[in-house]
Amino acid sequence: MDTPLREPTFLILTALAAQPMHGYGLIGEVAALSDNRVSLRPGTLYGALDRLVDARLVEVDREEVVDGRLRRYYRLSPGGETTLSAETERLRRNVEAATIRLSKRTRAALPTTPRTAGGLA
Amino acid sequence: MNDLERRYLRLLRAYPADYRRARGAEIVGTYLDLAAPDQRWPAPADAADLVRGGLRQRLRAAGVTDLIPGVRLAALLALVTASALAGVWGTAELHPPPVEWGVPHVGPFVSLGVVAWAAWLLAAVVIAVAPSRVARWAITLALLLTIALPPVAAALDALRPPLMVLLPQVVLGLLGLALPGRPSRAIRLAPALSALLAVVATEFLVGLDAVGTYYGATLAIFLPTVGGLLLLVGALLAAGLALGGDNRGGWALVTLLTPAGFLAVPGLADSFGPGQGSITFAELAVTAGAVAIVGPAVLLLTVLFRSRRASTRQPSGQPCPTCGARA
Repeated sequence: MDTPLREPTFLILTALAAQPMHGYGLIGEVAALSDNRVSLRPGTLYGALDRLVDARLVEVDREEVVDGRLRRYYRLSPGGETTLSAETERLRRNVEAATIRLSKRTRAALPTTPRTAGGLA
Repeated sequence: MNDLERRYLRLLRAYPADYRRARGAEIVGTYLDLAAPDQRWPAPADAADLVRGGLRQRLRAAGVTDLIPGVRLAALLALVTASALAGVWGTAELHPPPVEWGVPHVGPFVSLGVVAWAAWLLAAVVIAVAPSRVARWAITLALLLTIALPPVAAALDALRPPLMVLLPQVVLGLLGLALPGRPSRAIRLAPALSALLAVVATEFLVGLDAVGTYYGATLAIFLPTVGGLLLLVGALLAAGLALGGDNRGGWALVTLLTPAGFLAVPGLADSFGPGQGSITFAELAVTAGAVAIVGPAVLLLTVLFRSRRASTRQPSGQPCPTCGARA
């Protein structure tokens, strides 16, 4: 799968980095990770999971039946871990570069210490 | 099984049967986990999500996953074209024939068409500055105003642009509704820039007395030329993207055949009709009807051809991504 990853994909992989999760758990975790900015619906989530499974970034971990409902758990594959690490590193460098530039800009914008006209004389 | 589960299962028919058997229980189970305790009907957004997911899965099963991105690319080119045409026609509307010619007009404008062209130009600005969701509303407004022109003009007994001008604009706008969710800033600016260039160029040509508004004899040449240019840009884009192994351009090109065909209607009707005299309404209607059938049919046949090729491909030896079984 090409990088940079789209935000929902990045968040799904990040959610799975902690532990294997089922669809319902993933939806909640992605919402929590993004401060409720990214809200996945099941149709969209399973489409994304299919693509991630095809790209071998995610694997099926196990299946359980809870209250008569099938729950399939997904886990991050070794390939998924590599991709997530690479993407995280790329984002970290971007954030670092932006932080340095912004702090320089802030320093440059600071007003110089005002002096009394004519000095102390 | 309660009513809500039954209703979700009914919506799940949007997915292919094999996929429903493999994943249906899991998807519906997740919707039920998310549902409120007293919920009896799927939310409209859930229904739209399932239908979208089903369509995407059917395209994926048919091996044509590039179709939707290709249609979105075609939508952008369609919007650039529609905005440019709105720039041309909107500027021409500001230059009615001299009063002494005795040609009827609508106030300071050539016809009622100025309202629709203003809406298209507004839509181009909205695409540039607002999210795609808002831009779709602006395009829908422009579409509705364009479609309403013939009956409103008939009711008011006022002039309107010819149908051969309005029809391709409607087709371009309908395709434009498929614009991507989050296009880049440069792409969002493209329709407004093309409209601006078209306004400047038309104003210049009006100064040279080279624009005869809608009724110039060049209409049968101008619109088909725009259609040809649209296909040429689509073909160049397809070739460029194909070099990088990206099939989106090919699908965009096949999708653009329909709007390009509608732009070519005056030229086609002129070629196929009797050699003498102006194009009749019947000739236009038959030609437009033929384009409306042939354009989408070519797209459908391409999808069927590609899906057949995908289904007869030799098994790769890769395990099934979901169950792990080998082909």
